[in-house]
Amino acid sequence: MTRPRTPSARLRTGVPALVVVALLAVILAKGDYRANFFSGGGFALGALVAAIALGVVVTYRGSGVVNLAGAAVAMYAAYVYADLRAHGDLFLPPLPNPLAPIEGLVHLAGDDSFAVPHWPTSVSFGTAMGFWPALVLALVFCALFGLVLHVAVFRPLRHAPVLAKVVASVGVLLFLQAVVVRRFSTTTQVVGPLPFVDKTQVDLGLFKITQEQLFVVCLVLVLAVALWALFGRSRFGLAVRAAAENEKGATVLGFSADRLAAATWVLSTVVTGLLGIFVASVNSAVDPNTMPALIVPAVTAALVGGFTSFGWTTLAAFGLGMQVSLVTFLGANESWFPKAGGLPVPGVDLLVPLVVIVAVLALRGQSLPTRGVLGPGRLPFSPSARPWALRYGGPGLAVVALIPGVFFLSPAMRDGLTNTLTGIVICLSIVVLTGFIGQISLAQTSFAGLSAYTVASLSTHHGWPFPLPILAGAAVAVVAGVLVALPALRVRGVHLAIATLAFAVAVDKVVFANSWINGGFDGATVTTPDLLRSQDTATHEFLGVTIGDGTQPNPLTLVFCLVVVVALGYLVANLRRSLTGRQMLAIRSNERAAAAAGVNVAAVKVLAFGVSAFIAGVGGAVIAYRTGNVTPDKFLYDKSLMFFAFAYLGGIASVTGAVTGGLLVGGGLGFTVLNQVFGLPDEFVLLLGGLGLVVTAVLNPEGVAGKARTDLLALRRRLRPPAPADPPTSTDSATMADSSTPAEPLIPADTATPTTGPTPTVPSAAPTPNAAPTPNAAPTPVASGSAAGSHVSGSAGATPAVAGEAR
Amino acid sequence: MTELLRTEAMSVVYGGLHAVNGLDLRVDEGRLVGLIGPNGAGKTSFIDGISGFTRTQGAIHFRGRRVDREPAHRRARLGLGRTWQSLELFEDLTVRENLQVGAERQTVGGFLLDLVRPGRQRDQTDVDWALDVLGIAHLADRLPTEISHGQRKLVGAGRTLAARPALICMDEPAAGLDTTESEQFGRRLRRIVDAGVSILLVDHDMGLVMGVCDEVYVIEFGTRIAHGTPAQVVADEKVRAAYLGTKAAS
Ligand SMILES: Nc1ncnc2c1ncn2[C@@H]1O[C@H](COP(=O)(O)OP(=O)(O)OP(=O)(O)O)[C@@H](O)[C@H]1O
Ligand SMILES: [Mg+2]
Repeated sequence: MTRPRTPSARLRTGVPALVVVALLAVILAKGDYRANFFSGGGFALGALVAAIALGVVVTYRGSGVVNLAGAAVAMYAAYVYADLRAHGDLFLPPLPNPLAPIEGLVHLAGDDSFAVPHWPTSVSFGTAMGFWPALVLALVFCALFGLVLHVAVFRPLRHAPVLAKVVASVGVLLFLQAVVVRRFSTTTQVVGPLPFVDKTQVDLGLFKITQEQLFVVCLVLVLAVALWALFGRSRFGLAVRAAAENEKGATVLGFSADRLAAATWVLSTVVTGLLGIFVASVNSAVDPNTMPALIVPAVTAALVGGFTSFGWTTLAAFGLGMQVSLVTFLGANESWFPKAGGLPVPGVDLLVPLVVIVAVLALRGQSLPTRGVLGPGRLPFSPSARPWALRYGGPGLAVVALIPGVFFLSPAMRDGLTNTLTGIVICLSIVVLTGFIGQISLAQTSFAGLSAYTVASLSTHHGWPFPLPILAGAAVAVVAGVLVALPALRVRGVHLAIATLAFAVAVDKVVFANSWINGGFDGATVTTPDLLRSQDTATHEFLGVTIGDGTQPNPLTLVFCLVVVVALGYLVANLRRSLTGRQMLAIRSNERAAAAAGVNVAAVKVLAFGVSAFIAGVGGAVIAYRTGNVTPDKFLYDKSLMFFAFAYLGGIASVTGAVTGGLLVGGGLGFTVLNQVFGLPDEFVLLLGGLGLVVTAVLNPEGVAGKARTDLLALRRRLRPPAPADPPTSTDSATMADSSTPAEPLIPADTATPTTGPTPTVPSAAPTPNAAPTPNAAPTPVASGSAAGSHVSGSAGATPAVAGEAR
Repeated sequence: MTELLRTEAMSVVYGGLHAVNGLDLRVDEGRLVGLIGPNGAGKTSFIDGISGFTRTQGAIHFRGRRVDREPAHRRARLGLGRTWQSLELFEDLTVRENLQVGAERQTVGGFLLDLVRPGRQRDQTDVDWALDVLGIAHLADRLPTEISHGQRKLVGAGRTLAARPALICMDEPAAGLDTTESEQFGRRLRRIVDAGVSILLVDHDMGLVMGVCDEVYVIEFGTRIAHGTPAQVVADEKVRAAYLGTKAAS
């Protein structure tokens, strides 16, 4: 802790407790507040959030992973159950058919009738299934899925950096969501009622609740108590705690740490899945978007419980679930509620978890990690750009993209290329923040979106001429980025990922879904200079060359995007090569050591957030100008996750990685090619993205570009004639002897480079010339050393190596 | 002699444990001061405390000003450098870049200029001096992962040294070095002191500490049990008891 002025422990628990008690008192005192807070719907939502949160706590205690896909598991389980009940089908993830490329190629050759055998899409158990068999089957599926998550994803990652674990869980989240969208589309699916309870109201005095709702609430409470007993009172729980300390701890108690982790994964997917199924049944419906977003309140609750306490987690989860209906009520009825354009600001209920997260982290976080707290682990290597890459990279990219883009590509491919270019910009912003300084932000498209709406407003309503709104938009993004950076000063790793995710989800609703800002159904128009409008179908004459072929998108848009990409690419490459870049990488690998080296860690972090948000903001502005119309869907939190995924896939730590990532993003060139040539439907973007992300995190954390780089280096090493032998490990003493001249015995390596000769030297020859005369004339080291040693070094001196390496 | 660092009744408390308990310690300019004690005596905690990495009670004076409320990076910039018991190098940067992070100070103008001309020539004299004094100039372009443990220790010291601190606190820099290497290291320490950098040396290598230090503090359970020249300390009854005591216990 650098600042000794942290609030005292008493204040840290006292003030939040007072605030909560005061809020509860107000709610209880007012009849209609109470009725809306303690409502059946609120309780049901709270129960689901609590179950997800309990699952998150269980996996965290078992394997140290904060599973951001926890809520998606609930949604997935509900779909499995619903499909089993409705049709008796157990649907399978549509993994890509390995034979599909053959089909594509044959089609390309002109034979459209050719078709390879289809991949199975589901296992049928006959017709519609009863409640119990469907429930059991769905839970078995959940258990298996938990096991697969452990064995295939998180066990291989158990020693990996936090970033890799966050990335993998984001990958799982994207994958689950994409599978469901692919199978059932985004529309709501009807789920049948539970057989043993119904919608009869039960009067509990203080409030009324339906039988079903009461049932799920009781179920969650029972589960919470059971988990508390299991983890706190049983040998299993003791072993899990021991294993969390170190892997051998569990072995002593007769458990295998690996089996324990597997058990916690299964336990958490089953608990989460169970409640997902029941709450979907109570609501009679499930859709692919609502439940996965509940990860934000769930993780918030888990955070309140310190990722260990089941009691506090459950309480906080109910609170966060129940406040939603109260806030909706307040918005509709209270005059003091914040309004935008005459309507209550939407999404205030989503600000509540954000505020709680920031408060908890601010109170518990530390500006520098203490000793013993593990660092983030090794992140992908971040190479500094080589001079030739700097000289030819930009122009090369420009030529490669420009000539075909402007003159030859079909409109669809041109569109894909433009999307790739804007994607590269967003990926670059992630490279700076995550690749260089190791901070995880899952809100990059929120920054982009804030900028895009600023551009729309300024260009259309205030008549700002191009390109001024771009700067203004980027400035707005920078302000947002710096705001997000403030909590980031005291938290790191997965906590930061959680905070930024909560921010992104809140911005989605509060800003992007705010009809006062988003221009309603039609979106917000951007007044674009004619030359840049991608809808423009005119052709343009330049120096006698005709540009454009009368189709959308306008090739000049592409030129504009390209200019921005090249400029920002150089900016990021330069940043890496500069002192600031070195300071960022220093912070990334070790915050404490960076501070000890005089780096102002907080300032550099804020700077990194600012630069990153600036780049994302420019990206958002470019997207705004390119489309001429800003709609929220391009900037919602799942897009942030998607870009994060592809930036990581491409290679999170270099400009090349961002370019690779841009090629892969949804709607980008890569998918346009897959789509045009192989007929791969759009829904596969996220599916492959999620899957690719998990695979990359597990097998190849360096990303595509990083892998290519290491392979290339290895190849070059193989091709090159063997280099002169490396200096021996005791270079020091060897070079000492080589170069030791009586005059300057202590400067070894001036003349003798270690590679000059493997002349074997006797190390003891080195110290013979006496040390340069020292004013304090200490006794000669050797003599006094051994003399003193014989007295004192009895225990400590005798084993210097052991003592030194103890920590 | 001019006073450089002085602590007054400095304590470091973890929970209920007094890792450092009311320690008075003073380092004068141009001195090489040893700080020894059995495992867990509180040596690392003391360094963490004076360099700003853990909360402290009591006063810390450095170069005539009170620094115990300053954040870590500002103490480093004032010239209070430290190394780490567990190395903590920047693994993604080359040896030279590691030292540059320590040596260079960023300004707003410098940052903006960096975005346009990142490769411009910067003053490297301090970095080169540190590389040279420690004899690691030939490793400048290697990554920390590519060099031996002993060399990594030198890089850790070099990173602090490159900032040209007034005082450098070294936490077990010689651990893991063999006798020859440690003797050679001792001579390097003297050269560093001769160049005007004072040293607070924490180490378990009694040969090294008693051989190079001008004076030595001995602590146990966070309190000082002896202070004096190496010869005085070695002869001290309490010191012998402390070391023999830990021997019997372990
Ligand atoms: N972050 C911490 N939290 C709680 N106790 C700590 C912490 N760091 C150190 N300690 C305890 O403080 C005491 C002093 O530790 P310290 O590391 O300062 O000793 P040391 O003299 O450096 O030992 P060594 O020779 O083993 O390096 C020890 O009992 C240690 O367990
Ligand atoms: Mg220590």
